[in-house]
Amino acid sequence: MSTTFLPCGEYHESYREDHAWWQTRFIKAKMMLLVLILFVGIPLAADSYWLSVCNQIGYTALGALGVQLLIGFCGQITLGHAAFLAVGAYTSTLLILEFPWPTVLMDLGLAYPISIFIAAIAAGIWSVLFGLPSAKVKGFYLILTTMAAQFITVDFVITQYISQIGGRGQAFSLPPGTIRIGPWVIDSDLKVYFMMIVLVILFTALVANLLRTRVGRAWVAIRDNDISAEVMGINIVRYKLLAFFVAGFIGGVAGAFWISNLAAISPEHFPWFWSLWLVGVILIGGVGSLHGVIFGSIFMVVVMELLQMAVLPLATSYPKLLMDFLFIKEAAFGLAICAFMIFEPNGLAYRWWQAKNYFNLWPFSY
Amino acid sequence: MKAAPLALAMALILFLAPASTAQEVVVGSLNDMTGATSDVGKDYALGIAEAVNYCNDNGGVNGKPIKLVQFDYGYRVPEALTKYKLFQRMKAVAVLGWGTGDTEALAPTVTQDKMPYVSASYSGHLTDPKKTPYNLFAATDYSTNARATLTAWHDTRWKKHPDYGKRKPRFACSYMFASPYASAPIKAIKDQATLLGFEIGPDQDVSLFAVDAKSQVLALKDFKPDVVWHGNTTMSVSATLRDAYALGLGADHIINLWGLDENLPRLAEKAAEGAMAATVCAFYNEAGVPLMPKVVEYAKKFNPGVPQEKRLIRTVQAWSNVLALWEAMKRADKAGALNGEGILKKGFETMREFDLGLGGAKLTYTETDHRVSGAVPVYEIKDGKFRLVQVTDIKSRWPDKWNGWLGW
Repeated sequence: MSTTFLPCGEYHESYREDHAWWQTRFIKAKMMLLVLILFVGIPLAADSYWLSVCNQIGYTALGALGVQLLIGFCGQITLGHAAFLAVGAYTSTLLILEFPWPTVLMDLGLAYPISIFIAAIAAGIWSVLFGLPSAKVKGFYLILTTMAAQFITVDFVITQYISQIGGRGQAFSLPPGTIRIGPWVIDSDLKVYFMMIVLVILFTALVANLLRTRVGRAWVAIRDNDISAEVMGINIVRYKLLAFFVAGFIGGVAGAFWISNLAAISPEHFPWFWSLWLVGVILIGGVGSLHGVIFGSIFMVVVMELLQMAVLPLATSYPKLLMDFLFIKEAAFGLAICAFMIFEPNGLAYRWWQAKNYFNLWPFSY
Repeated sequence: MKAAPLALAMALILFLAPASTAQEVVVGSLNDMTGATSDVGKDYALGIAEAVNYCNDNGGVNGKPIKLVQFDYGYRVPEALTKYKLFQRMKAVAVLGWGTGDTEALAPTVTQDKMPYVSASYSGHLTDPKKTPYNLFAATDYSTNARATLTAWHDTRWKKHPDYGKRKPRFACSYMFASPYASAPIKAIKDQATLLGFEIGPDQDVSLFAVDAKSQVLALKDFKPDVVWHGNTTMSVSATLRDAYALGLGADHIINLWGLDENLPRLAEKAAEGAMAATVCAFYNEAGVPLMPKVVEYAKKFNPGVPQEKRLIRTVQAWSNVLALWEAMKRADKAGALNGEGILKKGFETMREFDLGLGGAKLTYTETDHRVSGAVPVYEIKDGKFRLVQVTDIKSRWPDKWNGWLGW
């Protein structure tokens, strides 16, 4: 008598299957549901305000992704990432405003997409320049050199020279209709949202895949112990600079995306505080985790907005509460970082991992 | 049990929050209480709330009370964007904005949304209705003010100078390059300097946060300017004036209006003597200004904890913007169009020589020009007090150029 046994788990019969992102049907269904929520649910349910909050989350996530790559995966601490966002934003803006685009490209609506790519390359190269000291210094000394990136780029180069191009003064404004991808003029929160969600998914997937390659493993080896990595034959200078390039590249995309949100930029959009904020995002989300970037961005933006919502009903009787909200927000930011450092140093991503594991094994989680 | 404190907090919020009236007119206000321009922003924010209370005590918008939603955004542009979206969500009919950075950044958005944005930024870039129709303010713009102040200095000081007629007067600018506020009138003032025959020296970059400007003053000394224009706010300008005095720069000083208020002579003392600036309204508690008793009364009533001697011209500037918006809303409401487009077309753009009673220029907004006036009163500090030097009417003095200066 022959007996057929059904498989009691997931069996992978090829290397490809073993390394697939979505390994089970359940996970595939979950991810499809997530895609549906992102591309259909949120656009249908959210009003302009919540879409702008989502766009803020996406902008934060794109910026923090580069910071995560540098700090969380390659161990290179940076406190000047807003500079690379600024390079991206200004490159894209100036290309749109000043470059003599051939009529064909303008008609096809390719000026902005091409400018995003060039902006990303420019920001990547600029980032490499400020990554050069990482060949010699690390820790606190590297922090100071990355801070120099902020001051040299935003306060000096952009303010003194770049802003003077075209004689507009400090603020560059993009005329309506110039931010366009193909036939699609990006002129509403919803269109900005779709652009944001595509960029965030694309670059999260890109970094996630990069981390599974030789390059990613080299970065992690450098992060864990750079001397051991070098002994193993990894060219640490090359890989560190590559990390700076990729982080700058993504930062450039974030900056170029930001101009679609406002159609205007000035050096004040990229303060040093924003570099610090991005580090706060990955500290709260979880250092060394891509989930951490998303969770940290959601936490930093949504929690602050919800806190504000809680304050709003009281404002009629106590109007000063609204004016003092920024104090509350700053205090909450500082307190959240302290609390996470003390109680959950692995960030929100670790909590997510715990919750996922619990439900994966539920109800037999013992 | 963990849910109990949360439920209690929610119940408390609901209990304490009064129900809102359907007839309320919501107006948002962005203010800087903690950021780079908070030295002048705090007093302005207090003035906004007091002025709105005055409007409500006088009937609101034809019987509908104004509900003010006021946020401190810390002079951060991304923060301003989310707050602006929140105002939209709360169905605000207009926004009282603050700095040049956020105002210019939001200009394309408010134009698209048809949201009147009455800012404390008086940037000349915002005065051309073809480009920024929904950006408004109840004051003469920075560029007109800068032209007027330099002209007043040329008229009153340079013509009495021993070198007058022998050489060109030397002029330089000191401001924070990165700040759109400070750099907004640079093109205009240099154009005016060229027009009046000045020799223009190198600009000096002084931070809005500066407490020391010695290196910039030393750099200026090499050029030996006769007059220096300061584009920052009061704290930074006072630091520069003190250093200029201590290092014997020997130049006169002309200042953008956010750099000169009642605090400047207190902070810079002798170093501020003779400094000149354009003003857009009366100083706080100035005599002979029709509405000033009300401004003072409401300041005492709603912010009794703030000493009267600490109140500044910024309060009066805030009142000017609020009263102009109030008038525009009343006119729009009467015309049955209390919305963004109505407030602009049936409100602001119907004002001709409208006097707010606060000692500022009479307001005229047209469909083609949002510069309220070309006549600018220029004051100087004499013995620690403000003294009117002259009213420079840029429009009537250069009528052929006036239209060409629109929007910069």
